[in-house]
Amino acid sequence: MTMATLEHQPDGAATRQGRAAFWRGRLLAQASLIIPCLMLAALLALYGSLREGVFTIDELNLDTAAAMTLLLAATGQTIVLLRGGIDLSIGGMISLGTVLAATRFGSDPAQAAAWAFGIAAIGALVGALNGALITVLRLQPFLVTLATWSILSGTAMIILPTDGGSLPAGWMKFGFSQWLGLSSSVWLLLLLLAFWFWFKRTRLGISIRATGSNERSAFLSGVSPLGINVATYGLSGLFAALAALYLTTQTGAGSPTIGKDYILPSVAAAVIGGISLFGGRGGLVGTIIGAYILTIIGNLVFVLEVSSYWQPIVSGIILLIAVLASSIAEKSARRSLT
Amino acid sequence: MTDLLTAAAVTKSYGGITALSRADFSARAGEVHALLGENGAGKSTFIQILAGAVRPDGGQVHLAGSLYRPRNPQAAQDAGISPVFQELSLIPDLTVEQNIWFRREPLSVARTVRARALREATEALFARHQFPTIRPDQELRRLTLADRQLVEIAKALSSDPKVLILDEATSALGPRETDWLLGLSQGLARAGTLVIYISHRLGEVRQIADRITVFRNGATVAAYDTKAVDDETIIADMLGRRMDRLYPERKPTATERVAVRLRGFGVGHRLDGIDLDLREGEVLGVAGMQGHGQRELFQALFGIGGARGSVEIWGKTKTIRGPRQALTGRDGLALVPEDRRNHGLLLSRSVRENLTLSVISRFTRFGITDPKREGKLVDEMISALKIKAGTPEQLAGTLSGGNQQKVIFGKMLLTEARILLLYDPTRGIDVGTKGEIFQLMRDLAAKGYAILFYSSDLAELVHVADRVAVLRNGRLAAILEGDDNSERQILRAAMIETRAA
Amino acid sequence: MNFRRHRAILLAYLGMIVLLLLTSVVAPGFLSATHLRSTAVLAAFIGIVALGQTFVIIGGGIDLSVPWVLNCAAVLMTLLAGSQNAPLVWIMPLLLAAGALVGMVNGLGVALFGVPPIIMTLAVNVILQGGILVYTGGAPTSTAPQAIQFLAVGRILGFPVILILWIALAVIATVLLSKTAFGRHLYAVGTSATVAEFSGVPTLRTTVLAYTLSGFTAALAGMLLTGYTAQAYLGMGDPYLFTSIAAVAIGGASILGGSGHYIGTIAGALVLTILTGLLPALNLSSGALLIVYGVVILITVSLASEAISSLFAFLPRFGRRQSPSA
Repeated sequence: MTMATLEHQPDGAATRQGRAAFWRGRLLAQASLIIPCLMLAALLALYGSLREGVFTIDELNLDTAAAMTLLLAATGQTIVLLRGGIDLSIGGMISLGTVLAATRFGSDPAQAAAWAFGIAAIGALVGALNGALITVLRLQPFLVTLATWSILSGTAMIILPTDGGSLPAGWMKFGFSQWLGLSSSVWLLLLLLAFWFWFKRTRLGISIRATGSNERSAFLSGVSPLGINVATYGLSGLFAALAALYLTTQTGAGSPTIGKDYILPSVAAAVIGGISLFGGRGGLVGTIIGAYILTIIGNLVFVLEVSSYWQPIVSGIILLIAVLASSIAEKSARRSLT
Repeated sequence: MTDLLTAAAVTKSYGGITALSRADFSARAGEVHALLGENGAGKSTFIQILAGAVRPDGGQVHLAGSLYRPRNPQAAQDAGISPVFQELSLIPDLTVEQNIWFRREPLSVARTVRARALREATEALFARHQFPTIRPDQELRRLTLADRQLVEIAKALSSDPKVLILDEATSALGPRETDWLLGLSQGLARAGTLVIYISHRLGEVRQIADRITVFRNGATVAAYDTKAVDDETIIADMLGRRMDRLYPERKPTATERVAVRLRGFGVGHRLDGIDLDLREGEVLGVAGMQGHGQRELFQALFGIGGARGSVEIWGKTKTIRGPRQALTGRDGLALVPEDRRNHGLLLSRSVRENLTLSVISRFTRFGITDPKREGKLVDEMISALKIKAGTPEQLAGTLSGGNQQKVIFGKMLLTEARILLLYDPTRGIDVGTKGEIFQLMRDLAAKGYAILFYSSDLAELVHVADRVAVLRNGRLAAILEGDDNSERQILRAAMIETRAA
Repeated sequence: MNFRRHRAILLAYLGMIVLLLLTSVVAPGFLSATHLRSTAVLAAFIGIVALGQTFVIIGGGIDLSVPWVLNCAAVLMTLLAGSQNAPLVWIMPLLLAAGALVGMVNGLGVALFGVPPIIMTLAVNVILQGGILVYTGGAPTSTAPQAIQFLAVGRILGFPVILILWIALAVIATVLLSKTAFGRHLYAVGTSATVAEFSGVPTLRTTVLAYTLSGFTAALAGMLLTGYTAQAYLGMGDPYLFTSIAAVAIGGASILGGSGHYIGTIAGALVLTILTGLLPALNLSSGALLIVYGVVILITVSLASEAISSLFAFLPRFGRRQSPSA
């Protein structure tokens, strides 16, 4: 409300002071991305000073492999958060995806491939159902996805009550295969980035962000409430299924409970990466940085030879710092405008 | 020449309150047509009908000879009618160019938005209409209110409309942008567009409008060629003749005791250098066109938003940092806020809970609320204010607008604060309730309350307030008293700007 | 009594009764006094955690930190007491205060610094998780002192002690919500923080108090649960995140705040526990239980939603007269 000025400043007030204030404003405006970048840089510097070979392709391959499941899950979560919602059901979907893969793939590559597509389709479908329930019954995303999380987890437990099952040997080779010196995970990351740079420029991508930013304006401009929710949560379910498929290449087994380990970290990675829980603000690049921050913390705890239990503590503190820092930066950016 | 847009006997009412009783309108392509009227005369409802945001109850609108009934804002846009509203329809987290072309972006083969084409289209649009400088890649939420208004105008122009509606578009703009917009409107008209121009600034209207239509109380009262009419006639048409029995008898009850003394009071850029005394037993009116600092004055007095300058309450210097520091019982200040639904009432809670929300301690003993004593307070208020509710347990959101307002009054009266800040308390309220509220205000003043009263309806200020302080551009333009306290004088002080109008 | 406003709570109890009747058909032994008593005892743990959660949710927030507040209190109590009864005299108040303090930190983060509740309480949860893991080295197996076991499974005149405690807490919660200024303020803040602020409600204090209460009840539940399982173990709090929120939701509160009551949450806790007890009788797995939980949540929140309630518009609305002018 204090943003409007009654008397306008003369145009081209290119005083040095004005320019400094301008750049300060620009910088603060990007703070939600700059802060996680600085955090990642600091963590990497610390990590690199403690261990040889941190800044090598091998390390990149390893860290990306470790971060990829979270990254895929967080990609879906990012899309939902940009819409201004939240998706807890990805936990159930990831569990269900791994147990389906571990029990249905068999040894026939064609059958495995068919089921892989099937799992992805189930993810998208379940997500779309979330979106439809939220819109049609006018329910809160938190409660709807809490309920579907429970339903999906239960289904996973019925299919495979305890960790186990098996996956084709060729499937598990995926995680270790390399091309041009880069591991499959790094290629996957590049693919994910390519997807994002495509998606965020599509009309759907813009509309999702716009709806998260101001629902009323977006609907007035012709965005369909049902369509946008089905698309948003459908994508989230799809990415959760992809996360499950990737996870099985790493673990080689199905687990009916593993998904819950990714729900809140996926939100945390996105929020550390500067995505606002109120919707409309942020992007996948931030989320990727957030996911790497969480992964590097794990590595650091390992090389520091302290108890691995320090990992959640540090993650929690980083999460709080990131949220507080970007909210303070946002406030000063707003002030520097007036 | 035939008319491009004609409206005949358009009516619209909201839950028993008539917004339009009979609106007639006709305008040609290639003219700037001004639509004038006081706040609440029905201008907004009328243009919302044109814009497809509201459906009329009766009457017909024709566009280019055929019947025009848009189902939604999209349909109106497709038919070539683009509105620029005061309440902006933009998306804060998208950039300027994304906002202008939202859902109409140029797409590539890969279904992505072609950034360069988008930029070129934006720059072409800006260049064609000589827009003031705005960076197309700025996020909207980083822009000033004035620049956002410009983006809204750009969005409306981007579809090359046949009819462009500008609703108070200059109220947020600075002088330079205002001149630009006036020139633009004339240019568009010359090129064959119909520009419907709504403004409170008569100078602007005179400068660009070819014709003028005047609304009063939801009906069309006059239409002129601008050249053939003088300012006095227009103002007289806007005001009309009124029923005066709506207003209670006004006996001066003010004492010498000063309840609120402001010196050099200001808020940000919006309000500056206000020196004002509100006395015990006085109803002090505040007038001003929309956005001239009255909202800031009321909110800052209630502790919302920082303020500078000195504030004395009942002779004691006081710093009010929040509503809790304003609502301090008998020596405090109470506010009836502008936004009933978002600031005033818990719509999903009962009348009883709303009434007593600020005074729970009044019926709490040893930490436990006493329903009997609460019920007594509630019943007293309901009967004193004649609140029409089935039971005190009825949800506040299900009451009529007038009764909702009474509940807010009741909540504030229960705090026993003797300084009342009333911000447009009769807005959207039926006539009967209005009369009751005015009577209540005079009765309270007679009991020694001090009342600061803003109204967007000038007649209310003239008939209810003892004196009227007029704000213009965030400064005190005049204090009118006695015979000077007339709508004409208020409008003059509020509208006629120091720059050549 | 306003049917519309309390409909969600009535529905929760109706659902509970239907569930009990259903149970008596499929598992006749279920309605015995013994079984009902053990169901109520199990429900008490959920009910106590969900007490604080109810206050936080009514105030428009959510507390994801309950699992590890609960777990920390449980583990620290057994470690500090070392199976001795006497130290409980100072350990219990100390840990309850510590739980309240954690809640207060949550509340301040939310109300003072504007951190979204999900993020604030999530961060506090993982920090506590790591903290207690580091402190214990990951493997605490201390047994619970006798006295606490008495509180959790003991009886007075044949009546379970924990039920007496739960009833007492329920009375306090009901009084707080329905009969105090704090309760009024909490509903106001949860309905609209802006209107509350404009009405002079102490919004900061109210929010902080709700989270403080949640920390307190989570810590209390943790210690009592230790008495029930006879020892503390890591991860014992995890199920209570889901069940505490589910109990509040089934009990008719809106996750957006401003509505609901602890009386409803009690029904929610009982429904969840009855379901848990019912499934073994039906020979269903824990997976099936999770599915049933999810379906029950969906059904109850749907019934409470506006979209569905408009379908029931033909029903008489008890105690609600339309104002003539509305």
